[in-house]
Amino acid sequence: MNIPRNSIGTWNRRGPAVLLSAASPYHTGPGHRMRGTVYPIPGLMKQTADGRDDERAKDESFARDAIPWMDDVYRFALSLTRDPSDAQDIVQETYLRAYRSWHTFDPGSDCRRWLFTICRNAFLRSRQQNRLEVEVDDGDAEAIAAAREHRAMIEDGTDRLLASVDLGPALDSALAGLDEPFRSAVQLVDVEDQSYEAAAEILGVPIGTVRSRLFRARRQMQQRLRVHAMDAGLRSVSGEGENA
Amino acid sequence: MPDNIRAIDCQNAVRQLWDYLDAELDDQRMTEVKQHLDTCRHCLEHAEFGQRFIQALKRVRDRHVMPSAVRSQVIAVLSAAGFSAE
Repeated sequence: MNIPRNSIGTWNRRGPAVLLSAASPYHTGPGHRMRGTVYPIPGLMKQTADGRDDERAKDESFARDAIPWMDDVYRFALSLTRDPSDAQDIVQETYLRAYRSWHTFDPGSDCRRWLFTICRNAFLRSRQQNRLEVEVDDGDAEAIAAAREHRAMIEDGTDRLLASVDLGPALDSALAGLDEPFRSAVQLVDVEDQSYEAAAEILGVPIGTVRSRLFRARRQMQQRLRVHAMDAGLRSVSGEGENA
Repeated sequence: MPDNIRAIDCQNAVRQLWDYLDAELDDQRMTEVKQHLDTCRHCLEHAEFGQRFIQALKRVRDRHVMPSAVRSQVIAVLSAAGFSAE
């Protein structure tokens, strides 16, 4: 076999040989290759048995604890973005960040809550909505107003009509019609079953703020239900329920 | 069982009604609201409607399923970052 002489230099004829370019740091000069030496490839991490075990353990715990919440994270992302394609992007970013910071997650703590927080942050970054909002915490007033409006529904017969229908579809569209920050409060507490405290942590606001957003959102949806019932022509003309 | 339960009025009960339905009150207040609902038909109507409302909202969850394409995409992105789902 004719090995051409070039800038690399001469080579011993010893069968299959690894040709290293002159640019390689392991090129030790013309004619200076040592027999039987394994030349490590630059950039390849040295894999010790311990390192492989650590990586495997990390992936196993991530697969076990984080991956199962993907549907929930998607649902939360969708409630924030209201666009399936944007939601997919948010979910991707959420899981990538979660994987990269998995070492910071306290095993045994609430992983879904942790993921929701990462998701919320990803959403805010996508909207560049990091402004601090001063909100009035008036949950009590919202609760009282909602009861007053429900009383009116009882008196005009709407409550009775709603008693016999499935509220689900109407609530679905009422929920979609809510603006932020009210929608995410309902999504977390009512749809995703989070406590006020968990929702507060996920959203990065005080509990009082969650409460007032939540109650206001519920009151708005209740108003939508009433309109929905009336629009559907379900409003009966009854002898009772005088609107005096 | 807390021993300083007070009788509360409708305004007080209604103000805490959602907290009650969400079980977000402390024991004393939970008991006070419950006792009020046991004796006040008007507030009980609000509580029953609120309960139905919240239960129906929880079922929203069942109607929104993540497309499988999203899952495979997320796994692909994670795999590129070194994740191995063995």
